[in-house]
Amino acid sequence: MPAPDVDDAVLETDSVSIRFGGVQALSDVSLKIGRGEIVGILGPNGAGKTTLFNCVSGFYAPNRGRVRLFGEDVTDLKPEERAQRGLGRTFQQVGLVRSFTVLENLVVAQHASVRSSGLASIVGAPSALREERLLRQRADDVLEFMGLTAFRERRIGGLPYGTLKMVEVAAVLATDPSILMLDEPLAGASGEEGSAFCDRVEQMRSELGLSIILIEHHVPLVLRTSDYVYVLNFGAMLAQGLPDEVRDNAEVAEAYMGEGASTLA
Amino acid sequence: MSDPDVDPTGLIHEEEVWVEEVHAARRSSRLPRLLVLALIAAVVLAIPQVVDVVYINVVSRAAIYGIIAVSMNVLVGYAGQASLGHAAFLGVGAFASGYALTDLGMPFGAALVVAALVGMAAALVLGGVALRVSGLYLALVTIAFGLFAQETLFNIRFLTGGGAGQTAPRPELFSGPVAYAYLCIGVLGLVLLFDWRLTATRAGRAIQALRDDERVAASWGIDVTAHKLMAFIISGGIAGIAGGLFASIEQIVSKEDFGLSLSITFLLMTVVGGAGNRWGVVQGGVLFAVLPTLLDRTHENFHVFPFTELTATWEPAIGAILLLLTLTMFPGGIAQQQGALLSWLGGGPFKRDPDAHTPAQGGGMGARP
Repeated sequence: MPAPDVDDAVLETDSVSIRFGGVQALSDVSLKIGRGEIVGILGPNGAGKTTLFNCVSGFYAPNRGRVRLFGEDVTDLKPEERAQRGLGRTFQQVGLVRSFTVLENLVVAQHASVRSSGLASIVGAPSALREERLLRQRADDVLEFMGLTAFRERRIGGLPYGTLKMVEVAAVLATDPSILMLDEPLAGASGEEGSAFCDRVEQMRSELGLSIILIEHHVPLVLRTSDYVYVLNFGAMLAQGLPDEVRDNAEVAEAYMGEGASTLA
Repeated sequence: MSDPDVDPTGLIHEEEVWVEEVHAARRSSRLPRLLVLALIAAVVLAIPQVVDVVYINVVSRAAIYGIIAVSMNVLVGYAGQASLGHAAFLGVGAFASGYALTDLGMPFGAALVVAALVGMAAALVLGGVALRVSGLYLALVTIAFGLFAQETLFNIRFLTGGGAGQTAPRPELFSGPVAYAYLCIGVLGLVLLFDWRLTATRAGRAIQALRDDERVAASWGIDVTAHKLMAFIISGGIAGIAGGLFASIEQIVSKEDFGLSLSITFLLMTVVGGAGNRWGVVQGGVLFAVLPTLLDRTHENFHVFPFTELTATWEPAIGAILLLLTLTMFPGGIAQQQGALLSWLGGGPFKRDPDAHTPAQGGGMGARP
């Protein structure tokens, strides 16, 4: 199934396939995300959603296929090189530095944007100290945007799971990405929190100008938030389309809910 | 997102109280804190004056072990890498400094720089291998590296003097044993200052981030390979300096001084001190440096059982017992036991950070020096 025509694609996978031993985890997955789009990825457990994220962000090397960021082929680049090009992602297991505070996490996350030389920082040159203050300022701005200011000084180890997922999103935002890939950001969240988060995702697009890819098990929220939806099943693209089209797709409903189901939500 | 009040463990509330107390402590006066710090500094500086001249070299050794502990801490505490071959870095530093002093006639300061550079080069070699292995395998590689250095490198006669040893005269200005102890303490101070600043820099933070999760660090744009290597190089450089100072304690060193048991002692003192905390590991270093002397003195002065049986040969057993006590009761080591004091000295409340008791507790970003 070819990817749809998208003007100005910021991220593109072209027939990405990967095999682990005897398991074909992804076969010929092609998708395109346009600038400022919110794209949802659905699929039952084990469909290959996180594997796709890992191929896009550089943690897995696909056996076949290419990954392009802003038109540049990044298939052979390391994860940090892709991150430095503006690709941000969260992890299914919370991706934060456990022993740091929330604020410290958001400061480390700005790694790629620090300009001071190592020497200036070691001796504590005024310019380096000024930059340190700016890093904290920016971290505070992001915390405020995410409504997490109250947790600023808390250590990661002592925070509940739902909060951690949000702090993780904040840390990725602090890297100043252009593309944001969210892997189940609502795991451990209540329905109300999910709804609030979807508003925030919309805000990230409108206020921060991000293009967003969302993996989430909460199907109605994904359909509500996304401009376009891809559905994976057994590592292959089962369906794609506008949220309404996907909702009414009988094949998708069957993959999710078993034989006989005709609509998804 | 979740309501903090419903946390059944009570941890959340405790953390909130902690944050409030941190703010309150920051608003309070700095004066008492500075006075206590000055008092500690004064006590440390008085030690070489009051210690019996027979034991003055033990003071130098203690300061040098403190430097080695900082070096170990960068690698083990911050970067989360294993090292059971650290005596090799100390050795190459010691022989490089001795060679520079004796055979090249270089001044002491320059010899220390040479020792640091050679230590960094050795660490670069080990680090290059270490990038490919981790955990138990890394530990084995570092042991092999230490043995290789001892059996091969340190047998190069013109560099190390072979069995006779390499001479390493002290600098003229610090030729007396008391003056030399002050020199070692001074270098320890500089190394601690460097370590504090390191944790407040981009590179220092990145090194600590990759300890917790390399994938997360990479996803934030951190070059994991480069920063892991950097941790090895910084650690090797500091150990090299320690080696240079070590060589001139007795003004002669031989390869017998740098065995596997020394590397194990270095790891023990780091863990018992509290990996990740610079003040903890330095105290661990000092403890293990004076332990043999302490045991011998006890043996000589107390003529009742069990002290009659106690000698310096018991040191490994006591080290092992301390390690077990640390791992089971205080995984954060000495630093954890002193948690309240260290928090207060760093500008926080006189109370242990409720969540700061993981073994590899980072120094944070250096906000609390």
